[in-house]
Amino acid sequence: METVLVVDDEQGILEALADLLREEGYRVLTASHGREALERMAELRPDLVLTDWMMPVLDGPALIERIRAEPAYKDVSLMGMSAVDVAALRHLYPGMPFLQKPFDIHALMRQVRKALDGKQG
Amino acid sequence: MSSSEQPARQDARVSTGVPGLDAVLGGGLVSSGVYIVVGEPGAGKTLFANQLCYHQGRAGARCLYVTLLAESHARMLANMRDMAFFDSALLPEGVYYVSGFRTLEEQGLPGLLELLRREVRNHNASILVLDGLVQAQEAAGSSRDFKKFIHELQVAAGLARFTALLLTSANGPAVHPEYTMVDGILELRERTQGVRSWRELQVRKFRGSATLHGVHAFRITSNGLEVFPRLESRVQRTPPPDPGAHRLHFGVPSLDALFPEGLAAGSTSLVLGPPGAGKTLLGSSLLEEGLKQGESCLYMGFYEPPNRLLGKVASAGIDLGGAMADGRLNFIWQPPSECILDVLADQLLSDVRRRNVKRVFVDGLSAMQQASPEPARINSFFAALTQELRCTGTTTLFGMETPRLFGPVLDVPMEVGPSAVAENLFFLRHVELEGRLRKLLSIFKMRDTHYDPTLREFVITSQGIEVLPPFSAAVDTLLTGLARHPGAGHF
Repeated sequence: METVLVVDDEQGILEALADLLREEGYRVLTASHGREALERMAELRPDLVLTDWMMPVLDGPALIERIRAEPAYKDVSLMGMSAVDVAALRHLYPGMPFLQKPFDIHALMRQVRKALDGKQG
Repeated sequence: MSSSEQPARQDARVSTGVPGLDAVLGGGLVSSGVYIVVGEPGAGKTLFANQLCYHQGRAGARCLYVTLLAESHARMLANMRDMAFFDSALLPEGVYYVSGFRTLEEQGLPGLLELLRREVRNHNASILVLDGLVQAQEAAGSSRDFKKFIHELQVAAGLARFTALLLTSANGPAVHPEYTMVDGILELRERTQGVRSWRELQVRKFRGSATLHGVHAFRITSNGLEVFPRLESRVQRTPPPDPGAHRLHFGVPSLDALFPEGLAAGSTSLVLGPPGAGKTLLGSSLLEEGLKQGESCLYMGFYEPPNRLLGKVASAGIDLGGAMADGRLNFIWQPPSECILDVLADQLLSDVRRRNVKRVFVDGLSAMQQASPEPARINSFFAALTQELRCTGTTTLFGMETPRLFGPVLDVPMEVGPSAVAENLFFLRHVELEGRLRKLLSIFKMRDTHYDPTLREFVITSQGIEVLPPFSAAVDTLLTGLARHPGAGHF
């Protein structure tokens, strides 16, 4: 079973995403900011980290930086999501998929599947 | 309570970016202050806070927007994207959104306070918005805990030099006892009367400087909030300039002959009359003459749109089209439904100041009166409006419709006596005489100048207005609208 770590400071969104991904058959971990995400990853390495961008404590860019700096996480796929215009983020993080909030659930599932399949490929 | 009696402090101010609001606040929010913005859902609190953040972000400040149990950031930003002040380039550096709800749920007020302090520091924010203070209030174990939270936030604001806006929905009294320690309380509300509703802002408390007292209208458009300070609260206290010998005429020789010295510059006049009596043409004549004298003029109308008006006055030989085309004459046309009194005053006075307008014709004083849901306010409003116009040296003519076409009763549909509005009073009416309906003009009052009090018939031709010689001495009761020869019955 593939594991997805969802990171978002908005509790309602975090819980909704977790439920939907579980219904889709994924194992789901949750964290409400970057530091908590790193703690979860230390316990169980996910296949994909789906992270919000603006968060307290440790934000999305800082989390991505920490994950990329850790060799043990080199196989972990990364995906961002934000209410900020993600076109600019795609430019800053080439090759990394981003979801523009608000998004529909089908787009989310497609992107998650694509990111995980890309990792396998 | 507003603190207008306190001497002003020289604190740095934070501009809100809301037109009109900084004026109400005596220059803006005081830097490092903690302010509560209270209002029911939909009152405009979130919009206001975002408008301030983007305004400050555009000026280089960093703003932190923390939500508790509020709409999602994505939904909030989706709502803001249509606003003129929104700028996606400011995200996330200039305006940063985080949620503090989970922290509040798990760690209570101490955890939330720590989050606020830390995030302000991490983002080097000078503006903090906490959207959902009522959640924090509900999470507090006691009133004392909540007061402690506010107090510690105030200390943090002073130390870290950030200005905080705490948004809360009205829950119980607008001003809770717990709020007394903050630096200011702004209340936003929507009021309804019948099917009509309007928005109001009131500064309930403000430390540090005088504010404009009372209730101020505001509106929400695609530009965000716009506040229209209550005219009476900002009226100039200085006496208007002495017009000296500067006098004005209508440019209608037979009319001007009734008061050869002319109207005093900066004076206000009122012309009363039923529909079709000639009020619009009289006002248009005053403006046309001003334009000939090289003066900027303003026509504020409520009923006839500009193209129809131009055609109407042109048929009476009054040409305003050229002046409107080249900007010497401005036409503010405001359909009377849903007008806001202070918006009308702002439109009028802004144009007067911007273009140094010297003559104004307000065609429809009744529409202005109806724009106020508070009849008791009309008297003081018009006193303030005419004072402002006098101070700018603007000569103003108000046109007001009387409801009866003709008859023995003279209705003056005003909440206040005409003298409160005008120094000069013209009266037009229809009169039935010798089987014809005629137009009658009389001057009831004219300050500081001699005038001919005789009743005159006036006619409108393709060459304009003409005032005829006095009626025959053998005709009286003209003002009743039913003239008769003495000793005879009504004609």
